[in-house]
Amino acid sequence: MKIPYRWLREYVDLDLTPAQAAERLIQAGIEVAAIHRLAPAMAGVVVGVIEAVERDLGESRGHRLRVCRVSTGRDRFTVVCGAPNAAPGVRAAFAPPGALLPSGRVEVATIRGVASEGMLCSERELGLGDEHEAGVLVLDADAPPGADLRAYLGLDDDILEIEITPNRADCLAVVGVARELAALTGAPFRPPEIVLKEGDEAAADLARVRIEAPDLCARFTARVVSGVSVRPSPAWLAWRLRAVGLRPISNVVDVTNYVMWELGHPLHAFDYATVTDATIVVRRARPGEQLVTLDGQTRTLRDDMLVIADPARAIGLAGVMGGADTEVTARTTRVLLEAAWFQPASIRRTARALGLRTEAAYRFERGADIEGLVDASARAAQLLAEVAGGTVARGLVDVYPAPQPRPRVRLRMARVARVLGVAPPREEARRILAALGLGVHDAGAELEVEVPSFRRDLREEDDLVEEVVRVWGYDRIPAAVAPRAVGLGAVPPTLAQAATLRRVLVGAGLTEVVTWSFSDPAYEEVLRPAGGPPPLALANPLSRDASWLRYNPLEGVLGVIATNLRRQQPDVHVFELTKTFEPAPALATEVRWLVIALTGAREPLAWWARGEGGRREAVDVYDAKGLAELALEALGVGAVATRVTPAGTIKGFEPDCRAQLVASGDVVVAEFGEVAAEVRRLWDIGAPVFAAVLPLDTIARLTPPPVRHRPLPRFPAVHRDFAFQVGALRAVSAAEIEAALREEAGPLLRRCVLFDVFTFEDGSRSLAWRLTFQADDRTLTDEEVNAIQARVGRRVAERLQITWRGA
Amino acid sequence: MGHPRVDAILEEARSAIARAGTAAELEQLRVRYLGRNGRLTTLLRTLGTLPAAERPAVGAAANAAKRELEALLRLRLEEAREVERRAARARQRLDLTLPGRRPPRGALHPLTQVQDEIVRIFVGLGFAVVEGPEVESDYFNFEALNIPRDHPARDMQDTFYLADGGPEPDTLLRTHTSPVQIRTMQAQPPPVRIICPGRVYRRDADLTHSPVFHQVEGLAVDRDVSMADLKGTLELFAREMFGPRSRIRFRPSFFPFTEPSAEVDVRCFLCEGAGCRVCKQSGWLEILGSGMVHPQVLRNVGYDPEEVTGWAFGMGVERIAMLKYGIDDIRLFYENDLRFLHQFA
Repeated sequence: MKIPYRWLREYVDLDLTPAQAAERLIQAGIEVAAIHRLAPAMAGVVVGVIEAVERDLGESRGHRLRVCRVSTGRDRFTVVCGAPNAAPGVRAAFAPPGALLPSGRVEVATIRGVASEGMLCSERELGLGDEHEAGVLVLDADAPPGADLRAYLGLDDDILEIEITPNRADCLAVVGVARELAALTGAPFRPPEIVLKEGDEAAADLARVRIEAPDLCARFTARVVSGVSVRPSPAWLAWRLRAVGLRPISNVVDVTNYVMWELGHPLHAFDYATVTDATIVVRRARPGEQLVTLDGQTRTLRDDMLVIADPARAIGLAGVMGGADTEVTARTTRVLLEAAWFQPASIRRTARALGLRTEAAYRFERGADIEGLVDASARAAQLLAEVAGGTVARGLVDVYPAPQPRPRVRLRMARVARVLGVAPPREEARRILAALGLGVHDAGAELEVEVPSFRRDLREEDDLVEEVVRVWGYDRIPAAVAPRAVGLGAVPPTLAQAATLRRVLVGAGLTEVVTWSFSDPAYEEVLRPAGGPPPLALANPLSRDASWLRYNPLEGVLGVIATNLRRQQPDVHVFELTKTFEPAPALATEVRWLVIALTGAREPLAWWARGEGGRREAVDVYDAKGLAELALEALGVGAVATRVTPAGTIKGFEPDCRAQLVASGDVVVAEFGEVAAEVRRLWDIGAPVFAAVLPLDTIARLTPPPVRHRPLPRFPAVHRDFAFQVGALRAVSAAEIEAALREEAGPLLRRCVLFDVFTFEDGSRSLAWRLTFQADDRTLTDEEVNAIQARVGRRVAERLQITWRGA
Repeated sequence: MGHPRVDAILEEARSAIARAGTAAELEQLRVRYLGRNGRLTTLLRTLGTLPAAERPAVGAAANAAKRELEALLRLRLEEAREVERRAARARQRLDLTLPGRRPPRGALHPLTQVQDEIVRIFVGLGFAVVEGPEVESDYFNFEALNIPRDHPARDMQDTFYLADGGPEPDTLLRTHTSPVQIRTMQAQPPPVRIICPGRVYRRDADLTHSPVFHQVEGLAVDRDVSMADLKGTLELFAREMFGPRSRIRFRPSFFPFTEPSAEVDVRCFLCEGAGCRVCKQSGWLEILGSGMVHPQVLRNVGYDPEEVTGWAFGMGVERIAMLKYGIDDIRLFYENDLRFLHQFA
């Protein structure tokens, strides 16, 4: 909200610069986002009188150039001007030679042979607005010639851009901010003096008001001002509105807006003659009822919306916007002035439903001042009489069925000290609360505070504690850690699990990525498994490609790989700790995953990297599997078996290159494989990608066996190598051979490592294991181990129908 | 002492070992003198053929000579191996300016690092870490935190709702980590001291706002918890997080779930308050929102505000990471360009 500093100082005596006042407000919780000069780029421009318009110099850019005689009272100037509205007698903005405009300094210039001494200026030339085509900025007929334009228009000012938190509706007004500054500085607060001269006619005889929805409208008042003449506002009023960002419309409308800015209460002026039977009815809209609002839009209303109506029809959307039919126009001579109080939530719902966020709605939904509206109405009537020449009818038509009492809240100084850890002297607290406009009474050791209607945000004791410390100063609160019982800084198992994974995977050379939790519905066909839970959709996404919640854990890392490939980073080894979301009876099921994804070369480009001539070895599916195994081991998941299956719970792997890791019988603890080509195509990824996905919640439910020490072997170990050849047509897996080896090797086997795999041209394979034998109670003899070797080799070969190639 | 027969062999062996240059030659000498049919071995084996009176002296001398030669051979063999390694290194054209063979370097995401650091500090102060759901109900995210429906305070947080039908959507993506406060207090009696890191969502996207971001929430509720305690705790935090010379200041603000409420600024750690581009010449950086838990929030979870008081704060992980590392575009965190991520390894 824009607050002109001079306007502010009409209500509070401040000897602070605008910046100092802003700093004081900020320290008390009223945010001042910026301070700017109203018309900084203009100087020396004055009120000029066009005394005569003489010769025509011909056309230039669509305008007739004419020679004008301009007076500033003291001096006369000859000015060449193309403005169509330059006419004898007009008072206009005049920049004599030497004046400064946004475009530069004004100098005497010869135009078509005439020395032009200065410029008659349009709004745009003055940097005050966009208007240019209409011509020069015309001033009131009583504008004093030679007066400095900035001073005359009230533009010699600083604007405070104030951001008001939702609790402080009272500060959506110049007077409210002035009251605040008075409390903060001790300067006297001088609210505007309302001097209302009323005529003989009684308002009650001219207008009637009926509230049919007292739950939504607690108070409605009306005044009548007769004999008004609707015309443009005087300069001071129009320019003050422009300074705060409002467009001047007519003197009547401008007065209501002026009072809204000054006192904070939105008002509405109806053309009295258009209100049927001069009767206002405040009621709920009828379902489907239509109203053309001031902006010319036809609004279809719901029955939970409140309207201002006359006996015939709705004439306004209560607290949001007036109706077009009853708008004040140039023909209006009598005005019905509304000042009312509407239920905030109802206004907010209506404004949101219709997309009408008006200044009035903004204030009503934050809570208007139910008592202060009487002053706002009187103030507006006073100004209407002043600027539109009307007569104010006697009295206020005031329908206020259930007057709201002023709440009383007790403040214990002990509570202040308890909440803050420190407290000002009681007298200081008392002074602060009184300066904020609250009624303060002594009640024994406590203070009893009567909360005025403009501070309905103050409901309970701690609200008053904040008022006291806010003005007293937050910097007076000491920094003192209270002594307290020692507690355990516990970390939940989910976070401990994540920390372990991060440590191990970063140690293994992977980079952690963090991505959004959203999913693109366009990927559904490729990423969502048939028969899986339905995706969760957002009601109001920012964009369509981020309108679902993630259901496939691969989505994030694939996006990251695509980004890096596009940016010439071909080797991407990343992991993400992520969540997917599934519908649940309450809220959603959030499933945690570790996702590992790899593409490009295994090792960085280096002289020692494996591969020849700069062509490094690429990552493959065994890298993904190995990292999954490493992660599982770090989480204490042992005895993992591989289950090769073209199906699986995670969609997105190539069916012929995917498998599961299974632990504790039948629990899937990882799925890994090559990412399917159709999935890569979604992100335009050309290179092969290998990935592993670990269900972390499932893994967390497996209890790892406790770590127990085993004594180190006391007797030497003996190694024996076993090589087997598997024919091209035999579908025997390494896991099957190893299982058979372990079974046959018997109790002396300590380790069994597959150390060589070779695939021949014809598709047959050779696989070699090194087995380590050891006894706990003796040194094994060669003879003993040789016998085991012979038996194991022969039996494994027989069982699996493969060839034992000996050691 | 020695014996002439032994001394002759010993003398010959010593000079042969001294002349030998390679490990292979030394091995040959070992076999010649100490092997199964070596000269000393043979002598010892034939002791029985000597006169009984000579036997002890010859035997003792031969054994001593054997020990001496073994030691000598071991020493010379080590020397010879070193010489050979040196020769091998020379043949390899050893070049110590070659880059080292390095294990791959991974990196933790900067958001993880900053979040971990914040959490670590509060765990050190005895706070328990608690997590909560990201898909939340309107009640926990707003109502219980004193933000009723149709209240203007809802404008402060633009919310993603789930398309769960109904004109008044009830399921949403949490807009802050504060619902974890409510869940925790509902589940246990005071005292409470928790720190809640997590992912939050707001419908907002520009250079400094991401629709997905991270917060860390802190909550302390006990008999003697005051704003002074909040200030002291946050000052400890700031010194640990931003350096021992850090200072903080409180500014009044408004949050529906705290009363009084405060924005907390930390003195700009780049210019130490002198004013610079990062702090927009103010000397201060706004880092978090905080306040005393609103009595209504305590009542909502069944606590008695006359019995206990509490404070709470919430800070944005991205904001702190941006300040700490000098990042001016929040989107960099979510692009995950490896060249960006490796700057924080």
